[in-house]
Amino acid sequence: MNVRRKSKAFQVLFAVAGECEFDENLIYSIAKHSHFWKNLHGKGIVLMQESTLCAKDGMKDGFPIFLGYFTTALAFGLLTRTSGLTLVQGVLISLTNYAGSGQFLMMNLYNAGSFLFEIALSVFFINSRYIFMSASLYPHLIDKKSVVKRILIGFGVTDENFAVSSLKGKMLPFPYMMGLIFTAYSGWVSGTFIGFVAGNFLPPVVQKASVITVYAMFASLLGGEVRRNAKALLVLLVSGLSNSVFILLVGIPTGFSFLLSMLLATAFACFIYTDEEVFGV
Amino acid sequence: MNVYLMIAVCSAVTLVPRILPLFVRTLDSLPKTIRKCMLLLPIAALGCLIFPLSLTDFSSSWYAGLVGVVAAFLSSYFRRPMIISIIISLVLTTLMLVLFP
Repeated sequence: MNVRRKSKAFQVLFAVAGECEFDENLIYSIAKHSHFWKNLHGKGIVLMQESTLCAKDGMKDGFPIFLGYFTTALAFGLLTRTSGLTLVQGVLISLTNYAGSGQFLMMNLYNAGSFLFEIALSVFFINSRYIFMSASLYPHLIDKKSVVKRILIGFGVTDENFAVSSLKGKMLPFPYMMGLIFTAYSGWVSGTFIGFVAGNFLPPVVQKASVITVYAMFASLLGGEVRRNAKALLVLLVSGLSNSVFILLVGIPTGFSFLLSMLLATAFACFIYTDEEVFGV
Repeated sequence: MNVYLMIAVCSAVTLVPRILPLFVRTLDSLPKTIRKCMLLLPIAALGCLIFPLSLTDFSSSWYAGLVGVVAAFLSSYFRRPMIISIIISLVLTTLMLVLFP
């Protein structure tokens, strides 16, 4: 079991190091697995190893995530710029949110002129998966009595941080978590800053075309999903088609239409995906 | 819209799902269907994140957006890293805008 866990850990490190794309499916299967292991642990079957992890280990594990976040954040920085935000606002988003898909979604809806309520609800829905991740990380944590420490760790539960830390197979001390979380965080924030500033030096036609970066990011996530499971293509069809019909033909406001289509497609996906495909075996 | 208010609200709805489960332990045992939906939701969101805005953002040059999206999709389908897919997509979209304005 330990060997299997380690090989998965390497896959995640490769994924975040940019060797292949961010493998969301893998992350979810880990989310499921760590939940499973925690339950076994509760029954005394799996014993966590004695932990010797320190802040330096965290920084080492965080470095591949730093690289992946930095490059993605470049695109985000550019997007905030083309959306008409100031440098301070753009960087403030990355500083306070620290969430890839949530931030891209927020800018998307902002550009489409949505209401704040629609943006908030959509961002909440897309982030609801973190409930599951945080909950399954909790049993691995040491020093969880302190309120401040719990808040700081919770702040850093991104898909990649979660995947890497919960795959350690060890109890996770606070300094390790901080090393991991804030190494990755520095990549996210500095990438946003540099992406915004670099936008200055791009010719106007490239700046106009740069709107595509956010959609290219979503499309490349989708490419990976479809390769793993062709059912994702059906979900794309339901999701994209219903949103297009709602916006272009029915004339529903973008934010609300997005919410509707997202929930519709989720229900559809829940129906066509088997439990094994979602949770792994 | 007040951008700072939007940032604050989005920060709240991002951090609450992350931090709350470390305090409220009952969130741990949500029904299986709910957990399944929560894991599938980000995949389901991709379709409506891409369409129709990737096309309408370019107004009359909508085909430039379509080329960019398809390029990024195919590139990652054939296992290219995300940053490469984004660069390919940006280059092709720029070319489309230059060649067919």
